[in-house]
Amino acid sequence: MDFLIGFAETLQKSGISVWMQGSLKALPIIESIHVMAVITVFGTILLIDMRLLGLYDTSRPFTRVFGEILHWTWIAFAVAVVTGILLFIPNAPRYVVNTAFGLKMASLVCAGLNMAVFEFTTLKKVALWDKQIPVPLAARVAGALSLLLWTSVLVCGRVIGFTKGYDFSVPKDLDFNFLQSCLECLGRLHLTNI
Amino acid sequence: MFEFAQWLELTQISVTIKSVKWIVPAVQSVHIITIGIVFVSLLSIAMRVLGWTRMDQAFSVVMARFTPWVRNGLVVLALTGGTLVVGEPIRELMSLSFWLKMSLIAVGATSAWLFSRSLRPLVRTGREPQFSPAMKTAAMATVLLWLAIIFLGRAIAYDVEVWGGLSFSPRA
Repeated sequence: MDFLIGFAETLQKSGISVWMQGSLKALPIIESIHVMAVITVFGTILLIDMRLLGLYDTSRPFTRVFGEILHWTWIAFAVAVVTGILLFIPNAPRYVVNTAFGLKMASLVCAGLNMAVFEFTTLKKVALWDKQIPVPLAARVAGALSLLLWTSVLVCGRVIGFTKGYDFSVPKDLDFNFLQSCLECLGRLHLTNI
Repeated sequence: MFEFAQWLELTQISVTIKSVKWIVPAVQSVHIITIGIVFVSLLSIAMRVLGWTRMDQAFSVVMARFTPWVRNGLVVLALTGGTLVVGEPIRELMSLSFWLKMSLIAVGATSAWLFSRSLRPLVRTGREPQFSPAMKTAAMATVLLWLAIIFLGRAIAYDVEVWGGLSFSPRA
C-alpha cells in the first residue's frame, strides 16, 4: 500500500497533473467525456449480454451480434481508459485509498477476466452454438457475470464522486468570460500546432 | 427561478431526499444505467438507418426491438431525473447545463416522434424504407445530440467551472 501511495504522489506531481489542477475546465470536461464513453461501453456490452442470455436477437447468429457491435465497445473503452487515467492522475493519492474506486477497478478486472475466459474457451467452439438457443451454460454464465460486473463498474464509478472530493484547490476565477476563454483555448492550440 | 428552487428545497420531500444519504447516489446510478440503455437503443436504430448494422433484419423488426426500450427508458429517466431535481433543486434548476440538456431532450424527443410517425405508413404496408442522405444525416445528428445530452448531464455538477459568467448558479 505504501508503494501505491508513493506512486500516486509521484503521479500527482507530474506536468499533466499540475496543468489539470491549474485549469478550471479540464477536469469537468474530461469527466463528462469519460461518462459518455463508459455509458457507451455499458450499453453496447448489454446488447451482447442479452443475446448470450437468450433474451433478445435470438433469431440472429451470435457471431453477427458480437461482430457488428464489439468494435464500437473497444473504441468507447479506449476513450474511457484515456479519460479515466487523466482523471486519476491529479487526484491519485485520494483515489488509491477510496473504497468505491477499489471496487470499480476490481469489477473492471473481473469483467476483463470474464471476457478473456469467454473468448479463449466458449467462443472458440462458437460454430457449435452460433444459432442455437439457449446458448451453452458457460456462455450464459459469462453473459450474466458481464451484466453484473459492468453494472457494478457504473454504480461504483458514480459513488466515487460522492466519497472522494478534490485533493487540491480549484482556481477561483469563476466568473470568466466563456467565449473569450474558448477563443484563448483555440489560440493556444493554433500556436502549439505551429 | 431561484425563488422557486429555494421554495422547493425547503419542501418535506426535498428534505427527505437530501437527508437519506443513499437516495441521490442510488437514483443517479439508475439514471445513468437507463441512459446507457436508451442511448444504445437509439444508436442501434441510427446505425440501421445508416446501413452499418442489422442489415439482415427488416427495419420494422429493428424498430419493434428498440422502440419500447427507448419509450420506457425515457419514462424512467423522467422519474429519476425529477427525483434529482426535487432533491437538489438549486444545483439543477440554476445550472445552464441543465437547461441546455432539457432543450436538447425536447429536440431529440420531438424529432424521434416525427421520425417514427413518418415511417408508420411504410411499416403498415410492409415495405422496406429507403433512407435518403438527409435521413442518414439526421440519424448521425441524433447520436451526436444524445452524446451532448450525456455530456451536459455530467457537466451540471460543474456549471460555473464549465460556463463561467454564463452560469446561473449562485456564487459562494
